[in-house]
Amino acid sequence: MVKQWQVAKHEYVKAVRRRSFILTTLGFPLLFAAIIGFSVLLATNGGDDRPLGYVDETGLLVASQSAADSPPLQPFDNETAARAALDAGNVQGYYVLPAGYLTGQQPRLVYLTEPPADDARQAFSRLVRAALLADVSPEVSNRLQNGLSVTMQSADDGRELGSDDFLSFLVPLFAGMFYVFAVLTSAGYMLQAVTTEKENRTVEVMATSLSPLQLITGKAAGLFGVAMTQLTIWGTAAVVALAIAGVATDLFRGFQIPWSLMAVVVIYFVPSFALVAGIMIALGGVVADSQQGQQIAGIVNLFFVMPFFLFAAILARPDSPLAVAMTLFPTTAFLTVAMRWGVTIVPAWQMAVGLVGLVICAVIAVWVAARVFRIGMLSYGQRLDWRTVRAALSGRNNAGSKTSEVAS
Amino acid sequence: MTAQIGSPTVQITGVRKSFGAVRAVDDVSFDVYPGEIFGMLGPNGAGKTTTIRLMLDIFRPDAGKVAVFGGAMDEEKKDRIGYMPEERGMYRDQKLESTLIYFARLKGLSEAEARSRLTGWLQRLDLYDHRQKRIQDLSKGMQQKAQIIATLVHEPDLIVIDEPFSGLDPVNTRLVKDIIEEQRQAGRTVIMSTHQMYQVEALCNRIVLINKGKSVLYGAVDEIKRRFAGNAVVIQGEGNFNGVDGVLDVYQRNGTWHLPLAAGVAPQEVLRTLAARQDVQIERFEVAEASLDDIFVMVVQGETPDG
Repeated sequence: MVKQWQVAKHEYVKAVRRRSFILTTLGFPLLFAAIIGFSVLLATNGGDDRPLGYVDETGLLVASQSAADSPPLQPFDNETAARAALDAGNVQGYYVLPAGYLTGQQPRLVYLTEPPADDARQAFSRLVRAALLADVSPEVSNRLQNGLSVTMQSADDGRELGSDDFLSFLVPLFAGMFYVFAVLTSAGYMLQAVTTEKENRTVEVMATSLSPLQLITGKAAGLFGVAMTQLTIWGTAAVVALAIAGVATDLFRGFQIPWSLMAVVVIYFVPSFALVAGIMIALGGVVADSQQGQQIAGIVNLFFVMPFFLFAAILARPDSPLAVAMTLFPTTAFLTVAMRWGVTIVPAWQMAVGLVGLVICAVIAVWVAARVFRIGMLSYGQRLDWRTVRAALSGRNNAGSKTSEVAS
Repeated sequence: MTAQIGSPTVQITGVRKSFGAVRAVDDVSFDVYPGEIFGMLGPNGAGKTTTIRLMLDIFRPDAGKVAVFGGAMDEEKKDRIGYMPEERGMYRDQKLESTLIYFARLKGLSEAEARSRLTGWLQRLDLYDHRQKRIQDLSKGMQQKAQIIATLVHEPDLIVIDEPFSGLDPVNTRLVKDIIEEQRQAGRTVIMSTHQMYQVEALCNRIVLINKGKSVLYGAVDEIKRRFAGNAVVIQGEGNFNGVDGVLDVYQRNGTWHLPLAAGVAPQEVLRTLAARQDVQIERFEVAEASLDDIFVMVVQGETPDG
């Protein structure tokens, strides 16, 4: 155990000192901060707090300004006055609600170069809708304005999903992206860690210091720590960014950490990592050098990121046979669950079957990796042929056993 | 010179190993004892490295028996072994000191112990000032010395070194030779594989010569050299060495006289005859001895002492 710990520590330190690791680990939070900042900027009108004017030719609108409306709406008696205010730069633009609006005439929006900000235009829409619903009770008016807001609830595990919460859609999606990225980054390091031992010719020294199983489990543990470090940094950065954004704008207000999703991430993480690590170790044992390994690893990675390519199909029909199949398939299970998490309720049985399949595949991958690595570790600069690999898997390999005492 | 005391550290008995249709090692047997430097010789591709890998449990033999420290290899025994393989290996992009500490820790040393021992080794092998350099920035000779440190820092009972002198200048060759001899004197078992026959003659107590996977010569170096010595004497001196009974020929080579003897003629008889003569002056008289180099070539080419 002490030796595995040494290997794990060695691999961890080596990986986190890499420039690529530092760039990706810190780059993602910076990117996230930029996206959130940009969203906040847009939500707060991009800094343009001039009023949005309107000319009501219908006599329908009541110049009642909601406190939440920012920027404020400013009524004008006629379009000439509104135009003068626009030319003077006192308003972002102005709407003209024509006299024939109720009979089908379209309102006009007039501006100089840049159209008014979204939130200003939404404020005007709310004003018009409120005026149209002036005769109904405030409760009914609210319901009509907000549309049908549904809370979905699954019968099997009682999980609830709000249909009007865009964060409940985005957060799992981003969590899935980060998760897959962290797993694949570590997988890349794992492949490199194995091929480096071969390329540096250190593997013989290692083989006389500890067992192949100790070596690969130590490497896997170290790189598991790397992935956890990356996910922790990204997760913390995301939570902090959303919390800050929640203070700045309504858009992110009310954000809560999706603990149930976090639990799913944790449950899927270990077997997913073991599966990827097993594949990469076996690959590292078979290939001649890291370059060849990376080419094949690129193809392997496709099996993990496949849901991204089917993003639109999964979101459009989150309970379709395709989405269910990808939830059950080991390499795509978690990412598909994360994508569906915000738009539907994934039945517990699907997650359970997907997880069991993933665990079984992970166990097989680690078993294959240990066998292939043992014979592959001494094949400097040459690729193992399929016959040798098959022999290794069937136990007829050339490598050492636990005991060297073999009867003549 | 041979110190076969106690039970052997390594016992190889009738070991065979094939890779596909190629039989890399075929019925090789030898024992190696504590306190001796044992030479493993053989031409390239003879099966030496495979034999070492079988010995160290990197490969499993198809047949035969390998015993290290009295039994099968296990993880604890690995801490008692120092191995410098033919395929040299260090993490090229890592710093020298941290790499050596890592290797030492994998051999069971604590970090404090590893650091403490390494200071002495690095100073002795003139690498102390380079300890913070990346290994790829060290010269080949420095990397070779770093390998030697990694092999010995945990004070192993069994040391297996493959071509320990390659890449070293004469000064460092002498230094490494001294270190190997020290290990022997400390009672450790050293198995050395090399092509440098003069180093084998200088260092090894016993040898095994492997050719085409088979063990073709095995025993004490002195005994083997005697066995391969031709029935001849070498004389350094002046005078006329002709006319001695039982001497087949007299010729001079590199300033010494060579006298091949007839079958059944003992060198001592020739010495007595010459000592009695007044027309010769003898400064050195010795039984002609084949060098290991000659023996290596003879055996590999299929010649025997009698052949």
